[in-house]
Amino acid sequence: MEKSIKWVVGAAVVVAIVVSGYFALRAPDEVSQKTIKIGVIAPMTGDLAFMGEGIRDAILIAKENLGNTKNKYEVIFEDDQLKAKMSASAANKLLSADNVDAFVTFSSVTGNVVAPIAEQNKVVHFGIASDPNVAKGKYNFIHWTPPSEENKVFIIELQRRGIRKLGILEGNAQGAAAVIADLKEQLEGTGIEIVADQAFNFGEKDFRTTIAKVKDSGAEIYLLMAFSPELEILTKQMKETGITTPITSIECFELSEQLSLFEGEWYVNSADPTADFASKFNSKTGKSPTLGAANAYDIFNLIVVANEKVEGTSKPTSDQVVNELMEITNFSGALGNLSVNEDGLVLSKAVIRMIKDGKPVSVGK
Amino acid sequence: MEMFPQLILNSIIAGAVYALVALGFNFIYGVQKFFNLAHGTMAAIGGYAAFYFAKILGLDTYVAIILGVALAGFVGFSLDKFIYLPLRRRKASNMVLLVASLGAMTALQAVIAILFSSRFKTLSGNVDTQKLFTILGGVITQTQLVILLSVALIMIGLVVLFCKTQFGKAIRAISDDEEVARIIGINTNKIIGYVFFIGSAITGFAGILVGFDVGIEPTMGLNLLLKGVIASIVGGVGNIYGGVLGAFLLGFVENFGIWKISGEWKDAIAFALLIVFLIFRPRGIMNK
Repeated sequence: MEKSIKWVVGAAVVVAIVVSGYFALRAPDEVSQKTIKIGVIAPMTGDLAFMGEGIRDAILIAKENLGNTKNKYEVIFEDDQLKAKMSASAANKLLSADNVDAFVTFSSVTGNVVAPIAEQNKVVHFGIASDPNVAKGKYNFIHWTPPSEENKVFIIELQRRGIRKLGILEGNAQGAAAVIADLKEQLEGTGIEIVADQAFNFGEKDFRTTIAKVKDSGAEIYLLMAFSPELEILTKQMKETGITTPITSIECFELSEQLSLFEGEWYVNSADPTADFASKFNSKTGKSPTLGAANAYDIFNLIVVANEKVEGTSKPTSDQVVNELMEITNFSGALGNLSVNEDGLVLSKAVIRMIKDGKPVSVGK
Repeated sequence: MEMFPQLILNSIIAGAVYALVALGFNFIYGVQKFFNLAHGTMAAIGGYAAFYFAKILGLDTYVAIILGVALAGFVGFSLDKFIYLPLRRRKASNMVLLVASLGAMTALQAVIAILFSSRFKTLSGNVDTQKLFTILGGVITQTQLVILLSVALIMIGLVVLFCKTQFGKAIRAISDDEEVARIIGINTNKIIGYVFFIGSAITGFAGILVGFDVGIEPTMGLNLLLKGVIASIVGGVGNIYGGVLGAFLLGFVENFGIWKISGEWKDAIAFALLIVFLIFRPRGIMNK
C-alpha cells in the first residue's frame, strides 16, 4: 500500500514538472502572437442552413490560405437561423463569453440587430446585407452589392426585354424593403409601371388570395422578393393557379435550394466570384459558391489586412482597425478589386443570371 | 380566373384546414376542458411521420398516411396516459394541465427538429403533377379537393359517432359532468384516452394534408393550433359543429379581409375577429 502511494505521488510530481515546464517554455511565444477573435453569425440550421454553411466554408478557406501573420486569427461560428432574437443572443454570447474583436453577419435582419450592439461595444462589424442602415456608425461596414446598383442593372434588363408592366410580391424584411424602396425611386421616368405590389409576412404559407389579386393586373413579369421557404411556396402556388407570366428576382432565387422551380428565369444577382475563389470553394466543398460566400471570404481577409497593418506590439484596438479598413483601396478579393468608401461600404457590381439546368449561370454584364 | 369565385374557393380551403384542427381540438376540449397546447404538434407528428414512411422508407403513400394518422393518435393517447391522467388524478388545476401541455409541445417540437432538422419539407411531388380543377371560374388543386372531402367525411363520421353510438353517449356524459359519468359506471379515463387518440389522429391527418398542399416544418403545429383555437372560440369552444362553423367563418374573413388591402394584414384580421368575439360573444356563435 505504502509503495503504491509513493508511486502515485512520484507520478504526480513528474506530471506537475512536465506541465509547468511546458507552459513556462511556451508562454513567451503565445504572448508575442496576439489572437484576434472573429465571431460569425449566420444560419447554420433551418431553411437557410446551406447559406450559412457556404459562409462558414468560405471563411475557413480564407483562414487556411492565410500566410504568415503577426497575429493569430480565431473564428467562432454562431447559428441564428436568421431569426432576430437568436441573432441578438448570439451576438451577446460572442461578446461576453468569447470576447470577439469583430463580428461578421449575414442578412439585413441579423445586420440590423448586431450593428447597434457592435457600435455600443466598439467592435468592428461587417454585414453581408442590402440594407444601408447596417453600415450606420463608426464600427459598422457592409460588403454587398448595394440595392441602387442591383436596381440599375435590373431596370436596364427590363428595358432591354421591352417589359413595361411589373408586378411585385415581397416578404416583409429589411433587405427586401430597402431594394424595393430604391427600385420605386429608380423606376420613375423610365416608363416602367408597377401594376401590382403585394406584401406578406414571414411564415405565411397561403398566398392564394394574394396571387388572385395580382393575377389580372396585366403584369408582364413578377418580381419575387422572399426567403426560403416562402419563396418556393409562393412560386409553387403561382404555378398551381395557372400563372405562366415570367418571374424574376433580385438575389432571392439563390436563397433557395430548389433552383429547378425557377428554371429558365432570369434575375439580378450580386457580383460573380473570381474563378480563383470559385475553384478553391469547389475543391473544398464540391459545390459552386453560395450567395454571400465570396463576400464572407473577402470580409475575413479585409479584417486580417486591417489588423496586420496596425503597427505596434500590443493588440490592435477597434479604432485602429477601423482606421486601417477605411484606408483600404483596390484590395484584390474574391469579388474583384474592392475599396472601402467613406460610408463603410465595400461595393461590388451586380450581374444578370438565369437558372439553366437547375444551376445559376451568368448571362451578361 | 375570376377574383370573386377564387376568393370563395380560397376561403373554403383555408376554412377546411382550420376546421380539421378545430374538430380535433374541440373534441378533446369537450371532455377535458383545458387548452391542450400540444394538440397542434400532432399535425407536425402526422406530417413528419407520413414524410418518413413515404419519402425515407419508400412505403406506399396511402400506407404512410395511415401510419402517420395512427402515430399522431398514439402520441396524443400517450400524452394523456403519461402526463395528463396522472395530473388529473392529483386533482391538478387546468392551469397546471395547460403548462404541462406547453412543455409537451416544446419537447415534441424539439424532438422533431432533432430527427428531421428544422428545414421546410414537402410531401407532394413536382408542381406539374398536381391536377387542377376549375370550379365556377376559380382554380382548385387535387390536394385541396381531398382536403374539402376529408373535412366533410370526418365531420359526418364524428356526428355519427357522437349521436349514434354508446361511445358517443359516454363522451357526451363525460362532457356534461365527469364525476356523474364515473358514478353511473362509465370508465371515464378509458373514454378520455380514446378521445385523445381520435382528436390527435384528426389533427395528424390535417398535418399530412397540409404537408401535401403546402409543406411541413416542426413548428407548423403552433400556427395551425392558433387558427384552430380562434375557430373554436368564434364557433363555440367544445362544440364540434361550432368549431367547423368558426373555421369557415375565419377562412372567409381572412381571405375577403385582404381583398382590398395588403396580404400582410391577414393574421391581424384573424386576431381582430378573435378579439371582437371575446368582447361581444365570448361563448361563440353556437353557445354550448
